Amino acid sequence: MYRYDEFDHALVRERVEEFSDQVARRASGALTEDEFKPLRLMNGVYLQLHAYMLRVAVPYGTMSSRQMRKLGHIARTYDKGYGHFTTRTNIQYNWPALTDLPAILRDLAEVEMHAIQTSGNCIRNTTTDVFAGAADDEIEDPRPWCEIIRQWSTIHPEFSFLPRKFKIAVVGAEKDRAAIRTHDVGLQIVRAADGGTAFRVFVGGGQGRLPHIAQEIAAAVPAADLLAYLTAILRAWNLLGRRDNIHKARIKILVASIGIDAFREEVDRHYATLRREDLKIPADELVRIQAYFAPPPFEDLPKASAPFDRALLADPDFARFARNNVRRHRQAGYASVVISLKPIGGVPGDITADQMDVAADLAERYSFDEIRAAYEQNLVLPHVKLDDVPALWRALHEAGLATANADLVTDVIACPGLDYCSLANARSIPVAQALSTRLADLDYQEKLGPVRINMSGCINACGHHHVGHIGVLGVDRKGEEYYQITVGGSPDEQAALGDIVGKSLPSEEVAPAIQRTLDRYLEIRTDGERFIDTVRRVGPDPFRDAIYETLDAANA
Amino acid sequence: MKIVTANRLSDGRVIYAGVDNQPVDSIEQASVLDDTAAEIVLAEVAGRPDVFVNPYLFEVSDRTPSGRDRLKERIRSAGPTVGNSLLWEKA
Amino acid sequence: MLQTLEGIQNGLRLSVTTPLEEVEAAAASEDVLVLEFEAFRDGRGFSLASVLRERGYAGRLIAAGKVLPDQARHLRRSGFDAVELQPGADAAAWARMDQAFSAAYQPATEAAPTIWQRRRAASNDRDLEALAERLNREVEGKSAPEIVRAALDPALGLRVGTISSFGAESAALLHIIAKERSETPVVFLETGQHFLQTLSYRTQLTKALGLSDVRLVTPDAGEKATLDVRDDLWKTDADACCDLRKVRPLARATAGFNAIITGRKRYQASTRAALKPFEVLDGVLRINPLADWDSEDVEAWLVEHDLPRHPLVEQGYLSIGCWPCTRAVEDGEDARAGRWSGMDKVECGIHLGKRQAAA
Repeated sequence: MYRYDEFDHALVRERVEEFSDQVARRASGALTEDEFKPLRLMNGVYLQLHAYMLRVAVPYGTMSSRQMRKLGHIARTYDKGYGHFTTRTNIQYNWPALTDLPAILRDLAEVEMHAIQTSGNCIRNTTTDVFAGAADDEIEDPRPWCEIIRQWSTIHPEFSFLPRKFKIAVVGAEKDRAAIRTHDVGLQIVRAADGGTAFRVFVGGGQGRLPHIAQEIAAAVPAADLLAYLTAILRAWNLLGRRDNIHKARIKILVASIGIDAFREEVDRHYATLRREDLKIPADELVRIQAYFAPPPFEDLPKASAPFDRALLADPDFARFARNNVRRHRQAGYASVVISLKPIGGVPGDITADQMDVAADLAERYSFDEIRAAYEQNLVLPHVKLDDVPALWRALHEAGLATANADLVTDVIACPGLDYCSLANARSIPVAQALSTRLADLDYQEKLGPVRINMSGCINACGHHHVGHIGVLGVDRKGEEYYQITVGGSPDEQAALGDIVGKSLPSEEVAPAIQRTLDRYLEIRTDGERFIDTVRRVGPDPFRDAIYETLDAANA
Repeated sequence: MKIVTANRLSDGRVIYAGVDNQPVDSIEQASVLDDTAAEIVLAEVAGRPDVFVNPYLFEVSDRTPSGRDRLKERIRSAGPTVGNSLLWEKA
Repeated sequence: MLQTLEGIQNGLRLSVTTPLEEVEAAAASEDVLVLEFEAFRDGRGFSLASVLRERGYAGRLIAAGKVLPDQARHLRRSGFDAVELQPGADAAAWARMDQAFSAAYQPATEAAPTIWQRRRAASNDRDLEALAERLNREVEGKSAPEIVRAALDPALGLRVGTISSFGAESAALLHIIAKERSETPVVFLETGQHFLQTLSYRTQLTKALGLSDVRLVTPDAGEKATLDVRDDLWKTDADACCDLRKVRPLARATAGFNAIITGRKRYQASTRAALKPFEVLDGVLRINPLADWDSEDVEAWLVEHDLPRHPLVEQGYLSIGCWPCTRAVEDGEDARAGRWSGMDKVECGIHLGKRQAAA
């Protein structure tokens, strides 16, 4: 993983001092709240319902055990003993005091972490495939490029006061495990004709009130020109994007309104007059950064592992965990292990300080000191020897971290909702908990296979409900919480927005309605057909019928 | 009737305008005001941005939030309805 | 450093909401442009400034309206010279926030070395002397284009730029470089005291040769305000004037290069008599493809390739710098006799060792 050098350290330290200065000026009255707000947001500080919220960046989701322990320390010292992982692979604390924030940021800086640009109208944390560097279908590890984008976008002089936020995601495989088409810019590493690295570039994706799937703007931008191309995109949008209406300010609206071809021309025009040579990623800097992401010293191992196979036979619970939470690895004898943060009836994405310590210890012991945060609000130990998986599972089990539901129906993605968030219209967590409890039976879940449910407490769509196989959106109907259901969304390389099936439901109806949807799927699926494929084949109607049948009967 | 609320600058916690427009932590200590008085108090606390951040009014009946945002105000006054913060407070 | 100015400044005032095309058109005929921010959140001004600078606007650029001290470095790095303070603004906060960071990662309009460039410079220092020696052996007897090609070889991993005065002989070297790689950065020291003919020649030549990255480097607005507010420093101290207008800006502009192509020739000055094609000066590889050329070689090249000529050559100027310190030479006089005529000075300092890099 990347390690800071003197320059990175200095910059993060200076950022902490700058923020302390801003906090002092806010306290003295030199800055109004209106002026302070965008500055604190650019350091990840929100003011939510009950307190400030701090969003800490986990650049491209990669952490060391030392960093994870520090996150636990912060949870214990300045917060209420837990943190919440988000779909953008950051971690949020819900209770820090403004006056403690400089100290928290100093603690983070000690372990090469920060909260820079985790919010605000600037370029946000770049995300990637949680299995980067481990997956067996990868063309190239995307993380060095993410780190280059991180550095380039940090305190960018031209792009710190954009019309709205700007999110970039990068994948290194055909399979999209980072939802790149839901981002302002999605980058997919491809091979150029000359064999070199290039980027297929998508632009104008986004969720929120007006969701859009990103469109391809370039088929293969040579890697060295990536920053120049991104600069041209951002410049075109910064100059032309709307600033009169917050809901129409994202780049997706500009791209949709002038069309992808006109937007491409605009970008090309800027690209032509850019200082491309300056923005060329220096070959030696790339080599320097790539060296940090070299594969860890794997052992030469046979493909099969006797201890792993014995445990499969000996313990059905382990066998279930192995089926659902263990992923193929490019290196023979290794696997990636998903640590689900979705215990039955729990808060999706939450993890206690003690669990963070356990995860850190296990990463150190079994995964070359590396731990990842996933788009799905889970953690991943990327490089675990198959021989070690049984012991790892037992340790996870002890810590309440061995829920064997990765990618199954109770692996729900959800935002914090109205329990915490000042923007929300409805709560997400209680509905997710009710759903999880109702569908808890793991035999049933395995029978269903992969189904993703996404839940957002308002139209800002932090829970990505538009691209959930089943989406749940909280709405406010005259002061009461109601939930609108969508089906058929998908965040991957076949990205699609879900269809709204009908009128919204009261909270207690959500879990039963979703269960009826799932039962209907079991009835109509063909052999081996996944839920999302059935929806694609038959459309939303059968599911609409299932959702409303008892309601209609009751109303009839 | 109305109550004036905001978040406190130093720690972000929910506060209400209480006796003498002083910030109080509990809705039980908040001043319950008629429309005219509420506007006056709101203007007064808006002039103290070193304590009151983003002050506004909400409707109550018997000190219980009753307006369109009643659920939000109930959650603000009582804390999250679920989750890990509750476990921490018990511990 | 970004200058902080009290009171309403003179100059054409445009809102940052003005479309880019209109701002560009207006800038073409203005020496001072004031861009007015209507809200500090409206960051269009940063892109407008960056684009103007990249497309060659060398006049003064002043930010006005609703801007915060916390945006000082964004303004400076995007190409603004100064900010017009709002009444009651805290100039101390502006100065403090301007200097809140000791370095930045990404290249921007401002020429100060980036973190990437500093990392590279640190890692490149070691073997340049050996490289220069090797290259000098390899190019022995080779032509100027071959020397340039050797320097631009990607395998060397050098960050190559060039400096040009767009003077009487500049077209030859620029032509050679443009043939090899037209996107090579070309640094032009916009001292603010060039002959108008030089400026129009720069535009003409840039276009004719297809040079895509000509960078106009201006003196630091803050330094100039301290050292030469009336633009007459040359009268009292030509060395200090060259230092302000050439040596310091060049040090900033070239900090990212570890190799610089120059047009220096042995015959030009006694200080240049032992010039080799490759040499190391202050940790930077200097490439002198024209080291063994004389004025006839240059003339022959210009004629052979039908290159545009500097308009002042016809009037007897054979070496052209800033107007206060350049005169035409008489027949039979040395070409550089017209530079700093009457002063005990033969070099401006940019080609001497121990450049005074700005702190």
